[in-house]
Amino acid sequence: MGLVTRKKVFSIMALCAMVGLLLFPVVVSLPSLAIGADAPDAAKKEDAKVEKGRDVYYKTEGIVVGAPAPKTVDGPKDYPRYNFESRVLLWFANQQHLYYGSFVLAVPIFCMVVEFMGVVTKDKALAKRYDQLAYDFIKISLTAYSLTAVLGGILIFTFLTLYPAFFGYLSSIFRPVMHIYALMFVAESGTLYIYYYGWDKMKEGFLKWIHLSMSVILNIIGTLLMFLANSWIGFMMSPAGVDEQGRFLGNIWHVLHTALWNPLNLHRILGNMAFGGGVVAAYAAYKFLASKTDEDRAHYDWMGYIAMALGVAFLIPLPFAGYWLMREVYAYRQQMGITLMGGLLAWLFIIQATMIGILFLSTNYYLWQAMGRMRGAEKYQRYIKYLVFILACGYLVFITPHTMVMTPAELKAMGGQQHPVLGNYGVMSAKNGGINVIITTTVLSFVWYMRGNKVSTVSWSKFGNIFMGCFFFFAYVNIIGLAIYGYYIPANVRVGLSVPQVATTLSCLFFMFALNSVMMKGAKQMGAIEWGKISARSQYALIMLATAFTWMMGLMGYIRSSVRLFWHVNEIMRDNSPWAYTHTVGFAANMISFNVLFFWISILFVFWLGSLAAKKVPAGEKAGVPGSAPQPAGSH
Amino acid sequence: MKALMSVGALVGAIALLLLVGMILDVVPSNTVRLVEGYMPIQMLLEVACFVAGFTGLSYMLSSMGMAVPRFWQGIGFWAFVLLYLKFRVYPPIPFSVRAMYGTVSLVAVFMWVSANEDDWKKFKQPIMNVLDAQSGANKMLRYAYLVLIPVLVGFTSFNAMRPKSEEPVELRTVHPAPPASTKVHGKTYTLQTSQNPYRVNPEGKFDQEYSNKLIVEQGMGRLMAPNANPFDEKNQGYLKYVKEGGEIFFQNCHFCHGDNLNGRGLHAFAFNPIPANFTDPGTIAQLQETFIFWRVAKGGIGLPNEGFPWASVMPPWEQHLTVDEIWKVILFEYWHTGYYPRTWD
Repeated sequence: MGLVTRKKVFSIMALCAMVGLLLFPVVVSLPSLAIGADAPDAAKKEDAKVEKGRDVYYKTEGIVVGAPAPKTVDGPKDYPRYNFESRVLLWFANQQHLYYGSFVLAVPIFCMVVEFMGVVTKDKALAKRYDQLAYDFIKISLTAYSLTAVLGGILIFTFLTLYPAFFGYLSSIFRPVMHIYALMFVAESGTLYIYYYGWDKMKEGFLKWIHLSMSVILNIIGTLLMFLANSWIGFMMSPAGVDEQGRFLGNIWHVLHTALWNPLNLHRILGNMAFGGGVVAAYAAYKFLASKTDEDRAHYDWMGYIAMALGVAFLIPLPFAGYWLMREVYAYRQQMGITLMGGLLAWLFIIQATMIGILFLSTNYYLWQAMGRMRGAEKYQRYIKYLVFILACGYLVFITPHTMVMTPAELKAMGGQQHPVLGNYGVMSAKNGGINVIITTTVLSFVWYMRGNKVSTVSWSKFGNIFMGCFFFFAYVNIIGLAIYGYYIPANVRVGLSVPQVATTLSCLFFMFALNSVMMKGAKQMGAIEWGKISARSQYALIMLATAFTWMMGLMGYIRSSVRLFWHVNEIMRDNSPWAYTHTVGFAANMISFNVLFFWISILFVFWLGSLAAKKVPAGEKAGVPGSAPQPAGSH
Repeated sequence: MKALMSVGALVGAIALLLLVGMILDVVPSNTVRLVEGYMPIQMLLEVACFVAGFTGLSYMLSSMGMAVPRFWQGIGFWAFVLLYLKFRVYPPIPFSVRAMYGTVSLVAVFMWVSANEDDWKKFKQPIMNVLDAQSGANKMLRYAYLVLIPVLVGFTSFNAMRPKSEEPVELRTVHPAPPASTKVHGKTYTLQTSQNPYRVNPEGKFDQEYSNKLIVEQGMGRLMAPNANPFDEKNQGYLKYVKEGGEIFFQNCHFCHGDNLNGRGLHAFAFNPIPANFTDPGTIAQLQETFIFWRVAKGGIGLPNEGFPWASVMPPWEQHLTVDEIWKVILFEYWHTGYYPRTWD
């Protein structure tokens, strides 16, 4: 058997092993899935003693196979503690694990995309650059992966030692799922290491495709892992599969598939991707700012751009996924929805709106700066001020609180809780308009960037430009018109208006990107993109993007968790610890900031470790020739 | 193009003069009225007109060789936003909101002046000139800043730390989450499923659509359907109940909530905070009828924990009104304001 054939056989075997690893936990758990632990056996033996319960969510009847949720009391048995608030310790451990978990789940997806782009790109130099970029990504995530596992361990120990009664109950419900989770984690680790260490050995031809397939398997495992973890928080917010006393009714699928599981899954996938993109972009920005050569600056400029583009691609649909999640929350329990959006936690949503706005503003700013590195983009520069104005108006509407912070004297001068002019911006109809205007403007900035150094040569270019202009104009008219119309119709109809607004924004995204790509095919180049010749401000915008995203993740995680108020498991298991109250906005903000700071300091350490490994690579082996940097497919 | 810019410049000049007049209190801030019902979009359009006007002015001044430096354009625009919010919009905007708007405007100005390298250089130039201090005037300015900036910081710190007698700001939760059910006069009402028994069609069945068509025009107070006057003695069903609800309202509620339901009743300003304004789209317009039922029945004293600091003197009306009277008064409130109660279908 020749060397090449042997390599092929080994790589196929490795791929099969990964598929096996993926399926193994599922197969192992099948019996328990099918029969719901040992319930039927018990039922047969003690037929007379069978007790049935009614599912709190699905309203189906099932045989009771679990113990009721414990009624905890404040004391060392249920809530052992240090001389400190246990909840804060748990908050910290959980948040750090989530940050790293999100990062290591997102980065392999980027790797898959970038590696795929490298495989399909015909330009060999560019393909090599893509491949190197994907390798850089996975290298960063590898160190972070170990830290994720360590933090996961810390989190479990924190649960076991500080909340034993609660964790005992949760693990009694999710016993089979937790084992599958552990096995999936083993599968994820094995796949990741084979994928990483097999990079050089499988870099050409058929073997490269096998390697790429491995990344697909790796990401499927990672995504399933996340879905399983999401089922626990889904259960805590909107329990199902148990009766009113919290007794497990034998159907593990009901426990997994709660009212909020699917929207949480979608929201987290998109969130992880946008977060991962932000972190990698910040890494590239940091390296760019620290670079001493034009070559390095060009490489990290390009890396930052790709990471930002991938992150923003997932950031754009994120508010819509969030909207779906909130809709499902309202459908599940309107009290929960009101607590979130109009009640106790409404102020945190104003902060969230502010952070979302910062994300989009940073993105737009980066794109405008990026136009500075391509010749020919000057023609768009003078219009940027109008985009700034539109963005600022959308942003101001989006962040205006319905109930304003004011002194009693101001309240009296105003004549009521709501301002007659600005108070109108505080309701959902206006906010939907605001965020859609912001996203549509971001799409417009992207379109300008993509055509910055090009002049269309198609015969219908004039018509195409007019069509695009009209499309955007009417999109704005439609979004703003619907936002105004929303004030004059019943609330339930108004909620439905968000659909045409979102459809308008997404139409701009898909149709205008597609039309622009067709128009720019074979376009006349005004000049190459001069990678590395971008302002330092752009890199700070990338860092701002990543920091804002980290902060927002911490904030939203806190909001989602604290909406349960004084419940460990909503309406099933009450939190009787001394900390079953909602923190003040100020305390929460400080805690989130501390978590963000800790994450960034620790990730800088991870980056530093990565750079130690990079220094061992001989300079001559660096891929790509940045001086003659080809244009990445992602940019045009 | 030049003609268009001239028009823009004219608009800009007039608008600026008006604003200056308002700042100096020569021109009342309601000279150009903010029209009820259109205020939010009117404000945005006004600001857009100012922006168009400034573009025109800038263009015209450049054409005449008197271009305004980018530095002063940026500073000037930011000052304009602050002054517009302070002197043009009425009633006065609370400081917290003006601070938010001011910060966003500052960020927007920064994004504008630094969007490309040339503009950024132009913007920075005066600052760099003062820092470099190559000329006598710049040297003087630099010394002035050396004194003024610490004084300003000191004064701001002093002002922030100085004991004040005014009441602190409050983060009130105006719409605390309602309970799943509420017990009124011995009967339990599930808020998510209960309905107003008087929102009925001529056949006596609950009919949201039917009653929606018979309300007044929002903000205008005009009847939306002809002959839908509830004060007609011959009315039966929904409109009759609206009238009865109105009588209850004017006997009990209007002293605080006002005869126009806008929260400005006879006693309104004796309270802190003043009573709810039902004509605002953020109050009853976005709530279910059962939410209002719960709030009316239980009053300020029945607010849940998250409604802290319970700053409401609303009486628990279940002690004074029957369940039927509460439902009828709610019917009247929606009819009069022209809003539709929220539904979850």
